[in-house]
Amino acid sequence: MLDRLGSSLKDALKKLAGKTVVDRAAVDELVRDLQRALIQSDVNVKLVMALSQAIKTRSLEEEPPKGMSVREHVLRIVYQELVRLMGETGTVKLGPQRILMAGLQGSGKTTTTAKLARYFQRKGVNVGVICADTFRPGAYDQLNTLCSRMNIPCFGNPAVSDALAIVRNGLKDMHHTEVVIIDTQGRHALEEDLIQEIIDINTISQATHRWLVIDAALGQQASEQARRFHEAINIDGVIITKMDGTAKGGGALSAVAETQSAIVFIGSGETIEDLERFDPDGFISRLLGMGDLRALVERAEETITAQDVDINAMMRGRFTLRDMYKQLEALNKMGPLKQIMSMLPMGNVELPGEVYDVTSTKMVRYRVIMDSMTAAELDDPGLISSSRIQRVAMGAGATPDEVRELLKYYKMMKRTLKGVRGAGGKFNMQRLMKKFGGN
Amino acid sequence: MFEGLRKRLRGVSRKLGESITEGEDTPGTGEISPAANGAAGTEKPGQTGLASRVKVLITERELVISEKDISEALSELEMILLESDVALPVTDDIISHVRSNLIGKHRKIGDNVDDIVIDALRGALLDVLGPGFDLVRYIGEHERPVRLLFTGVNGTGKTTTVAKVAYFLKQKGYSVVIGAGDTFRAGAIEQIDVHAQRVGIKVIQHQQGGDPSAVLFDAVQYATAHHIDVVLADTAGRFHNRANLMNQLDKIRRVMKPDLIIYVDEAVAGNDAVIRAHEFEKTVGADAVILTKADMDSKGGAAISIAHTIGKPLMFLGNGQGYEDIIPFSPEQVVSELLKEAPDA
Repeated sequence: MLDRLGSSLKDALKKLAGKTVVDRAAVDELVRDLQRALIQSDVNVKLVMALSQAIKTRSLEEEPPKGMSVREHVLRIVYQELVRLMGETGTVKLGPQRILMAGLQGSGKTTTTAKLARYFQRKGVNVGVICADTFRPGAYDQLNTLCSRMNIPCFGNPAVSDALAIVRNGLKDMHHTEVVIIDTQGRHALEEDLIQEIIDINTISQATHRWLVIDAALGQQASEQARRFHEAINIDGVIITKMDGTAKGGGALSAVAETQSAIVFIGSGETIEDLERFDPDGFISRLLGMGDLRALVERAEETITAQDVDINAMMRGRFTLRDMYKQLEALNKMGPLKQIMSMLPMGNVELPGEVYDVTSTKMVRYRVIMDSMTAAELDDPGLISSSRIQRVAMGAGATPDEVRELLKYYKMMKRTLKGVRGAGGKFNMQRLMKKFGGN
Repeated sequence: MFEGLRKRLRGVSRKLGESITEGEDTPGTGEISPAANGAAGTEKPGQTGLASRVKVLITERELVISEKDISEALSELEMILLESDVALPVTDDIISHVRSNLIGKHRKIGDNVDDIVIDALRGALLDVLGPGFDLVRYIGEHERPVRLLFTGVNGTGKTTTVAKVAYFLKQKGYSVVIGAGDTFRAGAIEQIDVHAQRVGIKVIQHQQGGDPSAVLFDAVQYATAHHIDVVLADTAGRFHNRANLMNQLDKIRRVMKPDLIIYVDEAVAGNDAVIRAHEFEKTVGADAVILTKADMDSKGGAAISIAHTIGKPLMFLGNGQGYEDIIPFSPEQVVSELLKEAPDA
């Protein structure tokens, strides 16, 4: 997602962690790096200046709370200010509502409209869409094609050029539908007549929500455009699209700040399912390498039972083949290893790339091989001699090389986890910060 | 267009001018070194005897612009470029270009400060923007049919741009055919079809989900058979970090052998413009750039960023919703426009 912003932020924080004294010069340097990182992510320059000023003043003037080192204090301030920049989580109700989609040309409104409809459909809500884009050729075809694939009713008429009439008729047609999403033509804030049109659509439809769709690549222009849309129809949510590219979405953050609203969804792919809810808190935590424990716990609760993976044992460093077996089993349920690792509070220690390269097919092979091991071998992999390797390979229908490869993988995992532990299972920011520096 | 950038650049050049003039009012403070015979730029002020200093000051007053004189104005210029969506690395380059051009420069008292500053800025901007691209001349010089392939990420306006370029070329008297190579996005074929009908141009199309290479190959075949001058190949928008989609583009390139690959991006894009332009240039190449949505009160930073990153000329700017809203890009004109004496100055 926005993790590229994260790597430059982390570098800045790493530098701070490497410093012996956190003084004015260190804070200045941190703020400067932060500024560059944010500006490169297209966050509005004025916003960046205000944010960095706030971080600077607070870091130097506020007394760190008792028991907290200056370093932790500064980190906490950066965290709080960034969360403030991201805004709150936008609320999405599942009850009856009308949603008006607004945005610039080519920001992805139509695709997002379809994705949003799919989101509500999946939640079991009765949903329909209206295509009020009467300008762009093929707009109705596009939306209609996407919707008919999901059996979602789509109202529109490419032959009619009056968007207001379509909205009026569409709403009449869908008065039984709980959630109605209105897709509109792309427009920018300088086109007076088009702005007037969307004001009229807003009035006619009495929309519950007016969401602004912003391309993740949009630059400094975002603030200004958002401001004018906000003046026109009072935007109450922002959807960032195209987050699957390399763009960092800073423009959308500027839009959030400008409209005093919140990011409601993030579009991150070409298929209809690629729409995610957005949680700024967890997101920033992950960004700063503090780990999104809440998300990890939630996900773990959703998918696996407690005995599946003993994270505490792993953190204590007692990591056997048996743990790895469980881990591989859980992987299928929980998602890719990299994602899980990014949620653990380990200061985002970079695992060696080979760890992730183990493909899912290989994972299956590994499990088969481990099935041919004895309980003693699983608990103490040191036992496995070359004759045992022969036996395991025969039993699993694998080659001895494959067994050796598995053992190598195990050792690599173990080494990595050993580097992470040391906090005694307790989340200790001081030590994590040291690890930052040590890297 | 580019109104915002223009006004603000004027502001900076005035400020640069002022800070240089200010220096002039307090001679002998070390900010200005009196220079004898133009070669004294290397001479430190302290080393010159007082008598000779006074003498030079009176007779041969030539000033050397020092870093201190302009650093404040330069950091302001930096902010302005950043706020205008010029990507960070590109901004750094421009600033250092202007700085190295101005610092150590000798200036006679009578010289107009504004001119020096404007020249430095103009130099830096022209340097970055590179030459324009004359499509009409290119077509005139090449064997028919001339094949143009349009690429870019999603939602930058490729399809609309293809229609505009088709209209532009038709006005210039060329025959044109369009290949509907966006077989992925729902409604894309209908979109280009309607556009083409409106401007009166034939479209070669297959069904949605078909192989774009095949469509575009057919378009080229059709053009050859019917002696058509130009083939415009639309493609689906794709992200530069999707290896398989980029491979598909590579296949299209192999199959239709385009004469020109045109990279389309939007003028409102921020720092990402640099990254994706670079990736497209690296994987499939790009011979020219078209920037769309320049009417969105854009400050034009993306033009500067992209041109600087891939070093390829800008061909057109799209600046509106109509078919005629496309203008050939000429760097001299844009730069003069940017640096032109603003009416309120």
